[in-house]
Parts: sequence; structure tokens; C-alpha cells
Amino acid sequence: MRKKTALAVTALFAAATLSLSACGTGGAESDQPVADVSAEAQDKAATVLDRPFEKPDLVLKDTKGKEFDLRERTKGKPVLMYFGYTHCPDVCPLTMSNIADAKRRLAQKLPKDELAELQVVFVTTDPERDTPAELGKWLKAQDPSFIGLTGDFPTIQASARTLGISIDAPKKEKDGSVTSMHGKQVIAFSPKSDAGYVLYNGEEATADDYVKDLPKIIKGENP
Amino acid sequence: MTPRKAHPLPGHRPSRSFARSWTVVAIAAASALALAGCSSSDGADKEPAADAKPQLSVTGAYMPEPVTKDMGGGFLTIANKGGADKLTSVTTESAKSAGLHETVDQKMKMVKAFDIPAGGALKLERGGNHIMFHDLTELPKKGDKIAVELHFEKSAPIKAELDVKAPTYNPHSH
Repeated sequence: MRKKTALAVTALFAAATLSLSACGTGGAESDQPVADVSAEAQDKAATVLDRPFEKPDLVLKDTKGKEFDLRERTKGKPVLMYFGYTHCPDVCPLTMSNIADAKRRLAQKLPKDELAELQVVFVTTDPERDTPAELGKWLKAQDPSFIGLTGDFPTIQASARTLGISIDAPKKEKDGSVTSMHGKQVIAFSPKSDAGYVLYNGEEATADDYVKDLPKIIKGENP
Repeated sequence: MTPRKAHPLPGHRPSRSFARSWTVVAIAAASALALAGCSSSDGADKEPAADAKPQLSVTGAYMPEPVTKDMGGGFLTIANKGGADKLTSVTTESAKSAGLHETVDQKMKMVKAFDIPAGGALKLERGGNHIMFHDLTELPKKGDKIAVELHFEKSAPIKAELDVKAPTYNPHSH
């Protein structure tokens, strides 16, 4: 009896949550399968992909304005990749600060050269405003080792799409403000296969999650 | 039915004798949630009435330490024991401007006002809606306080202080 009631309560809450998100956003989220509810309940930040993503064949400019070939420069190295923009007061700095904080804490646990292998790549979704200099200033304030990439928007959008991340071009509003968009996930690429094999929800994964998982990701293991 | 009475959480185990009433409460809570998700305009059958005087109180106001002076986000909760109101603007001497931003599907957009429901609360949380500060006079550091004045459609302005927290601070994360 007890168990049944508890189940009923849980089910009702799940139903309420689902109807809530269905009403609230209407977009892609309502298409998510019911299975996501149980995934959330496990309270694990990382999602290991059954079918990993190929690393995008992406050549952009780094924060010094020099050409940066993602595949060539990060071959055989663990990579964390995120799509965002610097005129973003909340989720983008939260995501990057969480990774920066985790790296600082891991510096006391991991051998220096091991941690130095980790490449954190921030690709702007707002290249018009995020020039190499702007991007450099913003990233340096969080962690000087972070790699910032900017360039042609269609190129950035196309590479994001190969990773299942959809981003719209920044849009100028009537009041002169610009609406930009950040990606939802942080993708971890394995140093063994160079494939994107783990996803994190940028705004939900905490620094603690990265502290826990990064030592494994650096070795290409499943977190 | 007011939100105050609907407290059940899935983690709490009801004792046997309460099982039935627990289920009823859960159903009520579930429908309240569904209601809150779908309709924002029907204050008619709620208590207090939508045209009652709003009674606002501000809690948990903070700003995560921004990366640069260019911008920062502010978060807080405005509880309302009275009738519906709207947060219409935020003013501060610590920044050139402060606006209201909503976040929908990873996009941020300026809005004119945020609704504060009757007998409910407006919650500005990380990953969602926020106050957007542009061109801060100084780069706020953890431990600082940012004084703001909140302006409403009906209520008199309320002065509040945002505590500057670590950049990774997120009281609502798991």
C-alpha cells in the first residue's frame, strides 16, 4: 500500500511536470520522451552517448586572430566544447566558470601535465560582437588557458548542427538590443577516439560534477 | 486551495493512515502545478482576489560575480501575499542601466515587465529570467552588495540589496 501510494504520487508529479513543460515552452522540449524523467531522477550530470559525434571539421580564428584548425590542434587530446556568447549575463559565464572552477580544484589533485592536456574550447554564437579581442578579454578573466573561437556565423552554425546543437543567428530587435542564443550542452571529446562521447547540460552541470568526471574524461573513460 | 497548503514532495513517505488523504493532496498539487503551467491570467477564483492590494516581499537577492564590468545578472524572489502586480523596472547607481530579461529556449530577450501572480511569487533564477545590468561602475566582487530599487505597476518601490556571490553560485542546482 505504501509503495503504491508513493508510486502514484511520483507518477502524478511526473505527469504534472510534463504538462508544465509542455505548456511552458511548446518547442523542442515537448517532444522529449517520457524516459527523460527517469534520467533526471538519477541525478547524474553526464550523458554518455551510444553514438558519439564526430569532431567538427572547423577552422576559425582564435583570440589572437590566428587561424585555428580544431581537428588538427586538438587531435588526441581531451576537449570540452561549448557554444555561447560573451554578452550573456547568466548561463554562458556560469558554464565557463564551473569548468574554470573545476580545473582550479583539479590542479591540486591531478599531475600538471595531465590537466594541461584538457582543451576547453568556447565557440561564439555571436561572432559580430565577439571579436577575437572581446572573446580573449572575457575568457582570460575566467581561465587564461581557455580557447576562444570566432569567425563566420554560418560555419559556426553548421558545425554546431553536426553536434546536435541548434543555434539561430543573433537578431537585432526594434529597440536596438540584440537577441543571441547559446547552446544547451557542453560536449566532451575523447582523447582516444577524438569523438564527442559525453554531453553535459550547460546550466545544470556544476563544478562538482566536472571535478568528479574530468579525471576520467582526460583519460577517455566513461564518467 | 492556496499554494501554501500543497506541500507534498515525492521524497516524503506518508504513514499508512494518511495514505488516502496524501493521494488527494498529491492530486491537488499536481493539478495546481499543471494549472500554473498553462494559465497565467485566471486569478478570478483564487484567493486573494486579483484586484486585491499586492503585498510584496523580496528574498534571496544575489548577483553572481560577473566576468567583466560590461554586464551582470541579478536574481531574486518576490513573494506576494496579496493581489497581482508587475515588476516593471529596476534602478541602481551601480550600473548604467538595468533591464528585465527573459530566457526562452537558450535565447535572452528584453521584456517590459514580469508578472507577480496573486498569492504567488516571481522567481528570477539562474538559467531563466533575470535582471540584466549593463556597464557596471565597478567590477563587483564576492561579498560586495549591489543596492537596487525595484519598481512595480501598483506597489510602492522596494529597496533591496543583491549579495555578490561566486560566479558558480546557483542555489537551485541539484
